[in-house]
Amino acid sequence: MKLLLVEDNERVSRFVIKGLSEAGHTVDHADNGRDGMYHAVSATYDAIIMDRLLPGGIDGLVIVETLRKSGNRVPILILSALDGVDDRIRGLKSGGDDYLIKPFAFGELLARLDALLRRSQEKSVETSLSLGGLTIDLLTHKVMRDGRQLALQPREFKLLEYLLRHANQVVTRTMLLENVWDYHFDPQTNVIDVHISKLRQKIDAGFPTQLLRTVRSAGYMLSDHA
Amino acid sequence: MPKLPIRLLPRLSLPGFSARTLAIGYVAVSLIVLAMFAGPLWFSWSTNVEQVRTELLQSDTHRLHQLYLRNGPEALAAAINAQTGTSYQGVGKLMLLIGPDGKKLAGNLDEWPVNVHGNSQPCAKRIMIDGQYQNVELTNGVLPGGYKLLIASSLNRFENLEAIFIYGLLGCAATVLMVAILGALLIRRVMLSKVDGISQTTTAIIAGKLSQRLPAPSQGDDLEMLTYTVNGMLDQIEHLVHSVQDVSNSIAHDLRTPLTELRTRLEELTVTRPPEAETYAEIDAAINDVDRVMAIFNALLRLAEIDSGTRRGGFVPVDLARLTAEVAEFYLPVAELNEISLTFEPLGMLQTEGDPLLLAQALGNLVENALKYAPAHGRIAITAQRCNEQLIQLTVADNGPGVPEHERARVVERFYRSDSSRGTPGVGLGLALVSSVARLHCGTLELQDNRPGLRAVLYLSVPRHATPSLA
Repeated sequence: MKLLLVEDNERVSRFVIKGLSEAGHTVDHADNGRDGMYHAVSATYDAIIMDRLLPGGIDGLVIVETLRKSGNRVPILILSALDGVDDRIRGLKSGGDDYLIKPFAFGELLARLDALLRRSQEKSVETSLSLGGLTIDLLTHKVMRDGRQLALQPREFKLLEYLLRHANQVVTRTMLLENVWDYHFDPQTNVIDVHISKLRQKIDAGFPTQLLRTVRSAGYMLSDHA
Repeated sequence: MPKLPIRLLPRLSLPGFSARTLAIGYVAVSLIVLAMFAGPLWFSWSTNVEQVRTELLQSDTHRLHQLYLRNGPEALAAAINAQTGTSYQGVGKLMLLIGPDGKKLAGNLDEWPVNVHGNSQPCAKRIMIDGQYQNVELTNGVLPGGYKLLIASSLNRFENLEAIFIYGLLGCAATVLMVAILGALLIRRVMLSKVDGISQTTTAIIAGKLSQRLPAPSQGDDLEMLTYTVNGMLDQIEHLVHSVQDVSNSIAHDLRTPLTELRTRLEELTVTRPPEAETYAEIDAAINDVDRVMAIFNALLRLAEIDSGTRRGGFVPVDLARLTAEVAEFYLPVAELNEISLTFEPLGMLQTEGDPLLLAQALGNLVENALKYAPAHGRIAITAQRCNEQLIQLTVADNGPGVPEHERARVVERFYRSDSSRGTPGVGLGLALVSSVARLHCGTLELQDNRPGLRAVLYLSVPRHATPSLA
């Protein structure tokens, strides 16, 4: 995937570019708003990672707005040290697809970026999702694995649906908290882990392969790879 | 319409309301009152006296005129002499009759005054008598046959009385003036002493003695209200200064611990250079330390954001019953894992306006607190109910150790951690956030005794327009 990183901090840029390259992406880099704008409009990218406060007299949000006005629908992840909820809303309203607050863990950035890339590739409206013998029906909320029907609570269904939509991809606890529960705070307890282990009990217990895995110091992944 | 700069507005140059202007004003008012009393009195006195005097002169003239016409000049001269004698000294009435040849026939004046001619009605005049000027009211005329008659009334006759009046008035004015000055000085002194008290106290406060207060006023004192207001303001300032100090100290303390650990960890790595696996484990631990610092910062920033009140602009309709149910459901698995019974009683729709993210976080903090302190096989009861039209009550009650009464006010302060909570995870900002969220929604957080345990009650007021109509 070809990505554009607009970020003025040299250390952060080097770290992100190295990580993204290792994950198999090609990364163009601009360290000020003017170059960022130039790159964004003159080349085609699969996604853009945009810092908000940039030198060069152009705010990252201005670039995002300009791109959207010209009909460019490239997925954009906004990076920012401004962490007020209002800032987040402004970032998303201007046309950003996701908003990540600095400082961030690289795993979080990668997971969110993968989610964005995946979303932009989804075309048809699905009525069911499946992975390795596990199938959920989005209309009837029926969950089947290897021909056996599983009984899930509504919230567990939503959690499983989110994991399935991001199958073979790491999802962080924060992503789950924001997308499944719509909460924007850090619980002091391990409540997400408990929800995951309950779901694991229901979908994995008694089956030879474990689909729902814990990815150490990152989050979780629903995967049918060995 | 463009705003007028304040400088362009007409400026009233009133004298400042100081003790000095008050004193001067007091004196001035006293004198004006005195003048208003004495002025009309003086006027009526003088016009009255003048009128009587004129009438007397007119009647005298008329009488003597008739006498002359009836009985001739000799009779007139005899009558005049009988009335006045030959000397004018000590007598109020002056008369003179002279013959056609200019010789004096009768009266108590020796010669005709030089500045009196012809006929004249009674009027005030100044005439020379024995080389001395005198003020008189005078009428004179020429009788048939060439005789000239002059009748005058000395104005000096009432001089004594007038002098007494004037002196009385002046004495009165002097007394009033003195009393007024004394009164003004007294007022000034009392006012200055009160202002002095205030200024001494504030000077002491500026110098750093924050505990100083204005002396308690006696009841009915004019400055009573001001004193209470100022003291209230000082209480608030002292509280704020202390809480800022406490917060700074706590930040320094709470951040120093993870930062010290972090530093030690990194230093140890460079010194000991352990094998690779161990190094990575240490780096992971270092990242955890940094995350702890970040968590404290984020919590503080969020608190500051809530307290600034800017979030009120983003209020949306919220069903608190539903929101509470979702939070309860969110934490239910954790409670089950710890074998704690977590119950929620939804009581109908609780429609209001607010910030759902913050309300969920506040409620989440209360439930997490309860989960932290509830014993194994304990109970947590969550309720949401409407107290009245304008108030909704969310309650999270546990049967843990509770909070002693004397600590209840303090546990909601930032960074306050009771002795019993030391050693448990958390940074001591959870209840502070709940309290701030309550304030943002014009409500309060109350901690009560659940016998045993803690009962945290979150009161939230419902905006009037958010109340669903009964129709």
